[in-house]
Formats: sequence, structure tokens, C-alpha cells
Amino acid sequence: MSKRQSWVFLAFAVTFFCGCATGPKYSAVASSFANLPSGQGHVFVYRASAMGAAVQPEIRMDGQLIGKAVPLGFFYVDRALGNHEIVTSTEVERKLTFMLESGQVRYVRLGISIGFFVGHIYPELVDTDVALSELEDCSYIGQP
Amino acid sequence: MSKRRGWTIRIAKRIAGICGIAVLASCAFDVIHVKQQPVQIQSDGAKNPFYLARAETFPLGTGFTRTLRRGTKWDYVGALAHGGVYRSRDQVFTVEASNIHEAYLVVSEETLVGFYLPVEKTYSPLGKPIALTISPTKPDETD
Repeated sequence: MSKRQSWVFLAFAVTFFCGCATGPKYSAVASSFANLPSGQGHVFVYRASAMGAAVQPEIRMDGQLIGKAVPLGFFYVDRALGNHEIVTSTEVERKLTFMLESGQVRYVRLGISIGFFVGHIYPELVDTDVALSELEDCSYIGQP
Repeated sequence: MSKRRGWTIRIAKRIAGICGIAVLASCAFDVIHVKQQPVQIQSDGAKNPFYLARAETFPLGTGFTRTLRRGTKWDYVGALAHGGVYRSRDQVFTVEASNIHEAYLVVSEETLVGFYLPVEKTYSPLGKPIALTISPTKPDETD
């Protein structure tokens, strides 16, 4: 590899990894999420892939900003039981609607699909076993 | 017309074409919707749950497919004019177009005819109803 190629490779690597989450891994902090306030449920939001790392839209839940779509990052919110919606905005809006029941933990994965100018980040509800497996690679980024 | 001017016009037309496609494509991102009609679910007492004895993969009619996993238990929630409404705690189920909505199954005579969207309180019909292979008991793992 020539010196020039090395620099190009390094530039790509830096660009790719700079956008990814840093922080404690899920397994290191999972025990602190166990306590669920009465009458509420946990909603975990995570992005399991580093693809399209430059695209990091804000995440809104019921109109309120709850975080950003940081690649390989996760956060959670406690919310009252009932109907909820999570919205991401890039060049288009993508919405997920779901129910939250007593003591329930819901997992919302932020996927990425092809857009015209930028990728579209979309929220999707996933099964617990799938989410727990994918969260292992994610870092806790907290909320804004 | 000079050669240079002709070239400029051709490039301008191409850029205009690309911009036009971009505008249309951006609009197209949001034109697919899950068909919904408002409904009121009736709580008419408890009915027996069922288990899926066979996995079913089917198109939603919006360009997306869904799979109902074998062995999942579906509990009765209530009734619509279209059929009984069932939900599962064994698998997450959603319907998807431009947006994604959590959904329950609407089953009539062992046939999946559509979905109940609990947040929107709407019914979304399935274009091609799917005959389900169901069982009153959990199917054996070895079957």
C-alpha cells in the first residue's frame, strides 16, 4: 500500500469511527435498567449498525426530543403506559406507533434505508431476544 | 448555435431532469400508506387462544413482507365485524409502509383477513387473506 493509499484509508477509517458511539457497553450497565417506575414502561432505542454513520437525526417520542440516532449507541426512556409514537426525520419523516403496557419493555431499532440524498433512518419495533443480542455491541449514550 | 452553447444546454437539461426525478422520488418516499378504516373493538368475553402450527410468510401489499412464527401463542383481545382480534406476547408484529404500526391479527374462520392497529384504532385489510394452520395447544418442537 502506497503512502497516499494509506492516508486515504486512514481518512475513511477516522470518518467512519468518529461518528460511532462511545460509552459503557450494554452488558456493563444493564443491571441499572432493572428498576421500572410504577405505571411506566421502558423503551430502549438503539442503532445496531455503523452504516451511514454521518446520518444521525434526532429522535422524537410523542413530539419530545429523546435522543439522536448515534451508530452503535443506545439509550432508554421511561414512559407512561398507553399509545406512543417515535419519529425520525431526515429528508423524510419515518414514524413508529406502538403500545406500552404495565411493566413492559419495548425495543426500538433504528434501521437505515437508501434515500435520495441521504439515508433514511427508520424506527422499528423488534423482539426482545433480537434486541438483547444486538444491544451487546452497542454503547450507552444517555439522553440529550 | 455554437458547439459550446449546445453542450451547456444539454448539461442544463440533464441537471433539470435529475432535479425533477429527485423531487418526484422524494415525494414517492411518503406515498405508501397502510390502508386503514376506523373501527371499534368489541370486548365480547374471553375466547380460547390459538398457537400457530406452521410459520406463515406473506406480503402486506405495501412492498413489505411479514412472518408469523411457528409456535407463537395468540390471545383473544376482542371482536371486529371482520373477525376476532388476537395479539401475541411471543413475537412483535407490525405492519409497514412508509411508517410502521404495531398490529394485532384479525382472524376469521382460521383465515388471517387483516390487522387491528391498537394505537390508531383502525382496521387494515390484508389484500390476499391467508389460511392459518392453527392448534389449540402448543405444537411439539419435534413436529
